[in-house]
Amino acid sequence: MTAAPAVRRYAAHPFWQAVGILVLAYIVVVWVVPLLPGSAIVPKSVVLQYMVTVLVGLLIYVSDNEERWARFKEPIEAVLVEPRLRVARAALLVVVTVLVGLIAYGQVATTVAAPPNLRSIHPAPPTEITFRGKSITLTGLENPLRAHPESLPLYLAEGKGVYYRNCLPCHGDHLDGQGHFASGFNPLPANFQDNGTIAQLTESFVFWRVAKGGPGLPREGTPWNSAMPQWEDFLTEREIWSVILFLYDQTGWKPRRWETEPGKGESGKGKGDD
Amino acid sequence: MTEHLLLGLQAAADTTRAYGEFPLIGARAAVWIAAEVHLMFAAFVLGVPMFAVVAEAIGIFGKDQRYDRLAKEFTRLLLVAYSATAIWGAVLVFFLATLYPKFWAYLTAVFGPSMWAYAGLFFCESFTLYLYYYGWDRWKYGRPKLGHWSLGLLLNLWGTIVMFIANSWLTYMMTPPRDITPTTDPATIKLWHAIANATWMPINVHRLIANVVFGGAIVAAYASYRFLAAKTDEERAHYDWMGYVGNFIAISALIVLPFAGYWLGREIYQYDQSMGITMMGGFMSWLWVIQAFLIAVLFLTGNYYLWIGMGRIPGAERFRPYTKYLLIVLVLGAIVWGTPHTMIADSKELAAMGGSHHPFLGALGVMSAKNTAVNLMILTTFLSFLLYRRANTRPVVPWAKSGTMIQGAMFALAAGVVLFYGIRGYFVEAIVRIGFSVYQVLAVLGCIVAVTVIDVLMGRGAQSLGAIQWGKMPPRSQYALFILAVTFTWLMGLMGFARSGIRQYWHVWQVVQDTSKYAATPALGYASKMISLCVLIFLTLVGFVFWLGGLAEKSTFVATGDREGGGGGRHVGH
Amino acid sequence: MWATNLKVVAIVLGTLALYTLIANKIPQVESEVPQTLTLGANVTPEQLVAAGEKVFNGIGGCTTCHGLGTRAPNLLTDEKGTGAIGVRCGKREAGKTCKQYLYESLDQPTAYIVAGYQPIMPVMTKQLSPQQVWAVIAFLESQGGTVDVSASDIPATSPTSPTSAGGAGGAGGAAFAGGSTDPKAIIQAAGCLACHKLDGQGQVIAPDLTHVGSRRSAESIRRKILDPASSTAKGYERLAGIMPKAFGTMMNAAQLEALVQYLAAHK
Repeated sequence: MTAAPAVRRYAAHPFWQAVGILVLAYIVVVWVVPLLPGSAIVPKSVVLQYMVTVLVGLLIYVSDNEERWARFKEPIEAVLVEPRLRVARAALLVVVTVLVGLIAYGQVATTVAAPPNLRSIHPAPPTEITFRGKSITLTGLENPLRAHPESLPLYLAEGKGVYYRNCLPCHGDHLDGQGHFASGFNPLPANFQDNGTIAQLTESFVFWRVAKGGPGLPREGTPWNSAMPQWEDFLTEREIWSVILFLYDQTGWKPRRWETEPGKGESGKGKGDD
Repeated sequence: MTEHLLLGLQAAADTTRAYGEFPLIGARAAVWIAAEVHLMFAAFVLGVPMFAVVAEAIGIFGKDQRYDRLAKEFTRLLLVAYSATAIWGAVLVFFLATLYPKFWAYLTAVFGPSMWAYAGLFFCESFTLYLYYYGWDRWKYGRPKLGHWSLGLLLNLWGTIVMFIANSWLTYMMTPPRDITPTTDPATIKLWHAIANATWMPINVHRLIANVVFGGAIVAAYASYRFLAAKTDEERAHYDWMGYVGNFIAISALIVLPFAGYWLGREIYQYDQSMGITMMGGFMSWLWVIQAFLIAVLFLTGNYYLWIGMGRIPGAERFRPYTKYLLIVLVLGAIVWGTPHTMIADSKELAAMGGSHHPFLGALGVMSAKNTAVNLMILTTFLSFLLYRRANTRPVVPWAKSGTMIQGAMFALAAGVVLFYGIRGYFVEAIVRIGFSVYQVLAVLGCIVAVTVIDVLMGRGAQSLGAIQWGKMPPRSQYALFILAVTFTWLMGLMGFARSGIRQYWHVWQVVQDTSKYAATPALGYASKMISLCVLIFLTLVGFVFWLGGLAEKSTFVATGDREGGGGGRHVGH
Repeated sequence: MWATNLKVVAIVLGTLALYTLIANKIPQVESEVPQTLTLGANVTPEQLVAAGEKVFNGIGGCTTCHGLGTRAPNLLTDEKGTGAIGVRCGKREAGKTCKQYLYESLDQPTAYIVAGYQPIMPVMTKQLSPQQVWAVIAFLESQGGTVDVSASDIPATSPTSPTSAGGAGGAGGAAFAGGSTDPKAIIQAAGCLACHKLDGQGQVIAPDLTHVGSRRSAESIRRKILDPASSTAKGYERLAGIMPKAFGTMMNAAQLEALVQYLAAHK
């Protein structure tokens, strides 16, 4: 028997097709995706998720048709019963046992790695905060400075001053989170140019984050190793509002509005923290 | 410090005798189980009459006795599940009154009269149901049959009102009208004002549809069990068909459900943005990843069932080669749909990714990608169904070829619109992007409606390639129906947790605070155990109740000839 | 038939188990009832310890690593025969008292790594408010040691609750009486008595403050000073808006707190 027909025979067999696609999917997820420009390694949890999805898809493929299902099962049954495959059977038995043992060991072995964490980048804001002892209701709150359109240039100039005096070292000259100190932080300072930060938020949310900074966030927002200070200790309410004004003006984003807020997700089909 | 102390005393006074304790599992778990199992039974009991009435109508107006038998069999399931609903409802009320007496007193102060109305309507509903079922054979033909059918309508009417009343209580807990504060005396709250709160109608509509989905799924599971237990080919054929109908009802109603969910989510956001963020982006954000996984299971299993089902349709071989492409779209869709935006990663991976967002795959984790994926999955499922429907016919109308091409173009157009807005969503601000999902949805719905209309017209007088060989199904297709039923039930529990959990430590959002020791909202792991437990209790009871139904009387399936009454009686044996 | 029944049961249980497993595999987050931590000037060690225990088991997330004894040293019972943290904290680093060592380990967790562990601990002073940090220290000291944390350790810049770090003077705004925290000096410098009466002195244009503590809580007094428009005493509606709004920006937090506590004690 020459090599080519044998390969072709295997390639046409549903069992080996399934194995091949599984291996291919693994190669793509683990090695090809990180090679793409601007990409990075895929976390193990996501690899597992993708592989399970592919596996389920393959099982559906091999079993949605009687004939294919029967052919798919052939090699499995052969390994389990045929006398000539006694070696393969024994090897399989050993491999499966060892694999289960290894997985079980990996699950219970003690490690010193930090636990994986979920962090929601935009935790739910409180309805009300206390800013220097004064209660501020965040719900429905607009930037009060916008109520005086004639003075906006003045406020913007003021906000610019506040930004360059306080925010520049981390959030950078281009408001892109690439300040001089940025590389020293994990998580990185927010990139306001990105459409995933202030572009997604109401100004009152930004006010809350500037005023309260990293400490004291709700549990879902931790571990918030953020170096963001509690700016309420250093800036006045007006200064914070003016710097927010500056952020939106400079980046060109529009703050999320209240009235027409239709919910960023749908409970039936929406999800997560985008 | 005195202030602190006073607050402490106040809290203690609030808590004294406000809460009871339940042995072993605790008060919250007890109420959770009672409410959830009651709700599952209630959903079944409300969903099934809807399609029982439709099935009866098809039987009457389409002169197809098969549907009439089916409707009666649905109703028989209903009858036995009905008392279980009432029992669990009573358990829930007793648990609330004894474990949360103070909060219960508050609710009764606000909603008292509506509770009396509820009891009265429940009474009407029960007796209408008895009349509907036991009058089936008496008013079988002619004018009385129409009267009987209107009894079914009446049954639905009572059920819907009863559900709307109960919904008002729980939506009030989520979104009490804004003018009600912690100091408002509950006795002064106008009843209608409390009932007509922000999320009442969205929940009503959402539950109405979800009940149909759920009823269909449970009926399908019932049929699949009877299929597996069947001993004759005729019986198998009947239950195969019943399972197919149940599954069809469930999946088609499921396709509409996200839009009702969208409306509900929107109302929640408009009512209180922080509640909305808690739900979608806060501590519950991972709940939606789990939900995505469950929905992916539903899509894949639903399609799987259809594809296996093609095996019993002569002529379906023509379409078989295409199912693998549909499968590829579905798997890719499930991958995108399940990609989390904030990934679980250890410190090394986090460092490599520069944060918990993957620099490349993170793009798949945002709304635009997910809406695109799910809309394409809906389209694919619809296409699967269309192929299934078309399988044993060959259209004979002269414009068949161009009709098929128009249908194809519509699919392409809808997919194009979905992809276009999905990609464009990355380049616009949030508020515009949210609007895009509406266009995507409209494109998909429009395609579904238009293609169906064309298909029905085209199917007129179509040449048949042979009747569907009902009953010629491998057992694994029936197990797929079980997975669907379990997944639907679990999903219902999960969504219930989401709806109830976003209230966090409030009985009534920002009006009545939960000061019990169970005030914290549990993590997803604990919730999932509770949900699994509730599902297990429900399925066990439902299985038992159905078994009882089979024990007490003969199946409505009447085998022709010698094997009279094969279905029901035989179940005694196993 | 039994085989079918068993298969059905297995499928149902298997599906349930799978969903439950997935939901339990992801990191678990509870949504807790927000605790306002009010640690006044005369907070007792017992109160600090109790508050610290809550932070340790709750919002601090300490038990994620420290409870298990695998990722981080065991703090509460015993770590390799050296006893609980309160016993060993004073001996970890030469020249550092227990309190200093614990503060350092929360503020700069990588400054001293216990042998056999990795530097994985986050900087807790970035996540917790100063009150919470000191409460945790008090709680840790109580585990086998003596609690020597007192209110003076807690920085005065954030006097009340974690969500209400108080007013540390406006940008460039000078504080009254050179920043003195003597309430009488503040009242003198701010000119309160130009309108209010207190202990028999002052004018009667505005409400008498002699028994203000019986009418208003400390929180209410604080609010009234910071935002005079927030409420008006009964009978003085006519004069609403007269009280200057700037007092809050003219005091530092310690001054404000001293003033509030002083007035609140006037029962």
